[in-house]
Amino acid sequence: MDKMIDDEMLVAQFKSGSQRAFDELMKRYQRKIFGYLLRSVRNYEDAEELTLEVFFKAYRALGSWEPKAKFSTWLYTIASNLSIDYHRAKARQPVYILEDEEAIETKLVATDISSNPEKQLEDKERGRLIREAVDELSAKQKTVFMLARYEGMQIKEVAETLGMAEGTVKIHLHRAIKKLQTLLRPLWENNEI
Amino acid sequence: MPKCNISEAHVIDYVYGELEQTQTSDFENHLTTCNKCTRMVAGYNRVLRTVDEAENEFMPHVIVPRNLETKLYKRLADAQPEKTSLLTRLSNYFAKLHLVMHEQKIASVCIFSLAVIVVAFFVGNPFRPTADLTLNRTNSANARIEQYRHQDIQRNFEDVLRKKHLRNTDSWDTVSHLNRVKDQAQGTDWANIANNQLKRVHSEF
Ligand SMILES: [Zn+2]
Repeated sequence: MDKMIDDEMLVAQFKSGSQRAFDELMKRYQRKIFGYLLRSVRNYEDAEELTLEVFFKAYRALGSWEPKAKFSTWLYTIASNLSIDYHRAKARQPVYILEDEEAIETKLVATDISSNPEKQLEDKERGRLIREAVDELSAKQKTVFMLARYEGMQIKEVAETLGMAEGTVKIHLHRAIKKLQTLLRPLWENNEI
Repeated sequence: MPKCNISEAHVIDYVYGELEQTQTSDFENHLTTCNKCTRMVAGYNRVLRTVDEAENEFMPHVIVPRNLETKLYKRLADAQPEKTSLLTRLSNYFAKLHLVMHEQKIASVCIFSLAVIVVAFFVGNPFRPTADLTLNRTNSANARIEQYRHQDIQRNFEDVLRKKHLRNTDSWDTVSHLNRVKDQAQGTDWANIANNQLKRVHSEF
């Protein structure tokens, strides 16, 4: 199908019965949505499951969808709501599903940061600790942070996607950055960055 | 040094490049004299840089799971039919009729609709939910996928006919569209129907 056809045209074609129009929309957005969800849930299988759920919901709702926003914004809205629900459901479990050995290793590394300032962390472990700090954010903080930082959205678009006021988005962003600053402080105190 | 009235929200706007040009230069002027804001900007940028490194390492490129479309259509086929009100179904029914009869006079739409309703009442219930919502739940998953595929072909076929009617003069598009339906319909009765339509188009133009 022609790349020049814009999303809204494809939506109209789908509404008038063209299955292929939905295939094309899915082809356009599955990589972005999957990537966004993978970053959000950090687990390949769960990200796949949520991606399917996004397109499932989109397929069923598209017939009655009135384009007040861009189609892509609407997809991100569905994906964000699903990922927020996912995080709330998992709130009492560790976000990382680690093998026992890995969990122990992580704990050791965390101990190293606070008790052994001289020790240089391996890059891999350091990266993992930073991502764990990101995963410590509340579901909304993390969602806002991810949309603004890694999905190339301006604050206005994040607000539109999440149905929040721009001021609220900024408050979440601000808290997210403050919290990250606190959580990451040991890294900076122990290592020159 | 004057007392700083800058809010943290303003600083975040700056870091995120959300300030307008004049605001940006005003703020950068302010930075030359305000340690508090300078520290805040540096702090936020350091957080973002650090997280960027870790996130880029986590996902240098995304490998999308395979066959997402197939999995989606299987899930759709397995899903419970959605309950729709009689009114919605009626309006959908007429909307579809209207599309088919797009450029005809309203009178012919009405007569045709009436005729269809009368015939359909004798043949079966015309107001059942649209085809993709009435999958038989007693079928096996594979049978439902197959059923779904047939409905898909049917929808595409209707799409061709509607578009053929609308563009009327552009046979090339219609032929290529019909050929796609024919390919998709290999092994079903729809392939023959598409073939007959192709012959008809060739004779028309
Ligand atoms: Zn200041």
